[in-house]
Amino acid sequence: MRRRGAPTAAAAALASLLSVVALAGCSSADAAEDTPQLKVTGAFMPQPVSDMASGFLTVTNSGGAADKLTSVTSDISDEVTIHETKDQKMRQVKSFDIPAGGELSLARGGSHLMFMGLKTKPEQGQRISVELHFEKTDPIKVDLPVKETTYNPTQH
Amino acid sequence: MRKKTVLTAAALTAVAALTLSACGSGDDDSSKPVADVSTQPKTQAATVLDKPFEKPNLVLKDTKGKTYDFREETKGKPTLIYFGYTHCPDVCPLTMSNIAIARKALPKADQDKLQVVFVTTDPERDTSAELAKWLPSAGDPSFVGLTGDFATIQAGARQVGIGIEPATKEKDGTVVSMHGAQVIAFSPKTDGGYVLYGEDTTADDYAKDLPKLVKGETP
Repeated sequence: MRRRGAPTAAAAALASLLSVVALAGCSSADAAEDTPQLKVTGAFMPQPVSDMASGFLTVTNSGGAADKLTSVTSDISDEVTIHETKDQKMRQVKSFDIPAGGELSLARGGSHLMFMGLKTKPEQGQRISVELHFEKTDPIKVDLPVKETTYNPTQH
Repeated sequence: MRKKTVLTAAALTAVAALTLSACGSGDDDSSKPVADVSTQPKTQAATVLDKPFEKPNLVLKDTKGKTYDFREETKGKPTLIYFGYTHCPDVCPLTMSNIAIARKALPKADQDKLQVVFVTTDPERDTSAELAKWLPSAGDPSFVGLTGDFATIQAGARQVGIGIEPATKEKDGTVVSMHGAQVIAFSPKTDGGYVLYGEDTTADDYAKDLPKLVKGETP
């Protein structure tokens, strides 16, 4: 009996997982009305030229509530900060807004993640793992492929 | 028990994340930055000035700590100047790398003629030694790096239409610094600053124009 108990519990857990999947699923259009639904795309890190690096990505929010990117952590740096660049001026910020139905775009020449005091120097072809922390949404892990120093996907 | 709860929560999170990332996978186009809208397709990167700038009066220190007079040193030579700082993770190394890549495409004789000058906008942190370390990596060992008195740098930048402000320290200790908006090309024929390049200029754009700039021609 005892041996049968475990699988049953596991099955129950699995079922509850599945129901969560169904709830969070895209088919129910109104499920996301008052929560942010975040998706990260286009992440990359240009190969750094010194002991600091930048990172870029887009966070799309298809949900019905706004969220905020509040911090970033990574194994390669103990000091990852978020910066906005406006009129050639770079400024550290505490958070970035991710509007409901909108996006946060970190792109070259604009806002970026900044990695200070790199513990290892990322080389082109490697992947750098970072964790994005949000005000409401659970942290999301993203791999940033290291591209050439001049990589800029927004250019034509 | 506690560990188990954490694990379950982690699993839930993972599943939720999977579901999230599955959402709207069909509209990948919408993930393109909004900024795209404002980047009109350009016919060319260069902005040619009707009224060229005179060379700025910049007497500063180079990466070896020696006095460098910009007007004297670059007289009669094709020259690019850019104002930036080394604690700049994005646009400054991008600009220097783009120019370095384009320069390598030139015939050797032209590479030797071209002067690429990087002037720091953050002289407090960017000493000669710092520039000597950063510039070969961000750009090319042939590039000239200048530092010195901020007032001199700011005045020189202003003479070529580049507005820069000193790096400032915020209340929380973070430093706000800035880079110039443009790279300016000076003609070897007239010594006038006659072409501007914005920060979205690619290595290809520079590679296309440099052969003309080296001759003092209009790209």
